[in-house]
Amino acid sequence: MLFQVIVSGFVIGCVYGLIALGYSLIYKASGLMNFAQGDVLTLGCFLGYTFYTLLGLPYWLSLIITAAIAFFFGMGEERFIIRKLQNKNVLTVYVVLATISIQYILQNSIQAIWGPNMLSYPRVFPWNNVTIFGVNIQTESVFCIIMSFILMMLLQVFMNHTKFGTAMRASALDAKAAKACGINPSFATGVTWGIAAALAATAGILLGPIYGVFIMLGQTIGRKGFAAAIMGGYGNVIGAIVGGVLLGLIETMSAAYWSSTYKDMIAYGLLLIFLYVKPTGIFNEKALNR
Amino acid sequence: MKSLAKKQNNKLITSIAVAAILLLLPIILSVTGNSYSILVLGFIIIYIIAVSGLDVNFGYCGQISMGHAAYYCIGAYGSVMLHHYFGIPVIITMILASILAAVLGAIVAFPASKLVFHFLSLSTIAFAEIVYTLVLNSPGKITGNAVGMFTDPINIFGYTLRSNTAFYYFGLVVCAVFLLVKWFLVKSKIGRAWIAIRENEDAAEGMGVNVVKYKVMAFAFSAFYTGFAGAMYAHLVNYIGPDTFTMKQSVMFITMMLFGGTGSILGPIIGSMFILLMTESLRVLEQYQMLVFGVILLAVVLAFPGGILGVVKDVIKKIKLKKGGVKNVVRN
Repeated sequence: MLFQVIVSGFVIGCVYGLIALGYSLIYKASGLMNFAQGDVLTLGCFLGYTFYTLLGLPYWLSLIITAAIAFFFGMGEERFIIRKLQNKNVLTVYVVLATISIQYILQNSIQAIWGPNMLSYPRVFPWNNVTIFGVNIQTESVFCIIMSFILMMLLQVFMNHTKFGTAMRASALDAKAAKACGINPSFATGVTWGIAAALAATAGILLGPIYGVFIMLGQTIGRKGFAAAIMGGYGNVIGAIVGGVLLGLIETMSAAYWSSTYKDMIAYGLLLIFLYVKPTGIFNEKALNR
Repeated sequence: MKSLAKKQNNKLITSIAVAAILLLLPIILSVTGNSYSILVLGFIIIYIIAVSGLDVNFGYCGQISMGHAAYYCIGAYGSVMLHHYFGIPVIITMILASILAAVLGAIVAFPASKLVFHFLSLSTIAFAEIVYTLVLNSPGKITGNAVGMFTDPINIFGYTLRSNTAFYYFGLVVCAVFLLVKWFLVKSKIGRAWIAIRENEDAAEGMGVNVVKYKVMAFAFSAFYTGFAGAMYAHLVNYIGPDTFTMKQSVMFITMMLFGGTGSILGPIIGSMFILLMTESLRVLEQYQMLVFGVILLAVVLAFPGGILGVVKDVIKKIKLKKGGVKNVVRN
């Protein structure tokens, strides 16, 4: 029982981690919060379902196509909406409102296209369960955890050990200085938003076989992802993952051993406690006074 | 002097005309058979009060709250539950519930006062979500959980506001009182302190303004307004359910405030009217209502980031520039 609870905590924790990772990237690149992230997860879930079930593509291919579509969606969102607003020097609250309206548009177009009913994913792998330490675990859960960790690892390598990753970090630190070094900061920012969206969509397609495909899937996850990001230290990449996994574990544990109705409250309670007591998070990220 | 007297005369005439229209509006609407519109007018008044409260917080003190649905909820549920369980007359419960909202607003604002924009908005969202979860899953089902609660209309000294028209007149008076209080408040020392905090927190602190105290005050006032609006809502429709108090409601308040224009008395009035009439007219689209709403919202944010009042001000400025040259604009 305990082991299964831990595994399901890790599954949702990894998803929180991927979402929070997107928040951190965006915050570092643009100093903004993106409320549409959770609904990009929903979009990814539905797109993956369409490619895999309706069009009959292999799972890995639908995963890649979904991530690619989400990547361009994120880039487009930044290029045509967020950048336009920032160039006009509007109050930040208008940018926030724009991401919220994107959230509405995504949610309701998904409903208009795929209908309001919950869809169920067919099995992805030919075997139902894997046995670890004598306990049966759903294969998709294991896959979700492994994939998330691979993605996080890849992102770390990409950000720290490739030329473009360094350029992205440079333009996030100081756009003017980066420009002087021959980096195109606006392109780098766009790619950052794209990566964030692709991470969210991948989380969606990984989560689909476990939780089912429905419209409200991403909304709560997206909002709780903020709690994960705050816990780890908002803007900190490793902190986002640690915060996500921690939140997932705490939430699942308390749902299993205490009460599942107040599961959501725990995430928001943690968010408030961290903001009030230690706003820099576990990893002491000092991005607060931007 | 002569022109000043004339200006005052003009102002008097306009205000009398506005008052006459406001008083006659339900009669005109009921004669033309639009009784539903009177209910919409009631909703507009409720939103004006709620959004004016939010505007105290954001427009004057510069503190964002994306969780004002929580105070709306506390006002509504507080009033209904006090009436239901203790039998206190409705009008008193409304005031008690708004005071409760104000106290909770202050309690939330006190530790949040050091947070800046994004993180302040997250903390208010988290608070609103906690309130929503508690209302939906209350211990012992005292809030009726997902079923909601039924309640009675407002009763003032034995006279019950059963019709929407009666509610409209009551709301008009309440709204006028709330707007007047807001007007006096922002002109007072407190309002000046708020504006100083909005413009530059460090400078305000340097001038001896107690930043934490005034921020907490702004939150409490704002929560009182929104809480009272929530209580009015509850006793207008005589039913409350948790679905009314989700984050969508908070976003609605912010949208109305931003579109009318922040930091003014008139802004929330224009914003509430405009956005509410828009959502009402989109109702025919049924399931696509929120989709179209989102698209319009996005388009307007992109096209006029200053809100409706900002656009009007720009247009007036342009007309004046054409008419009287630069001098006229500078003088105004």
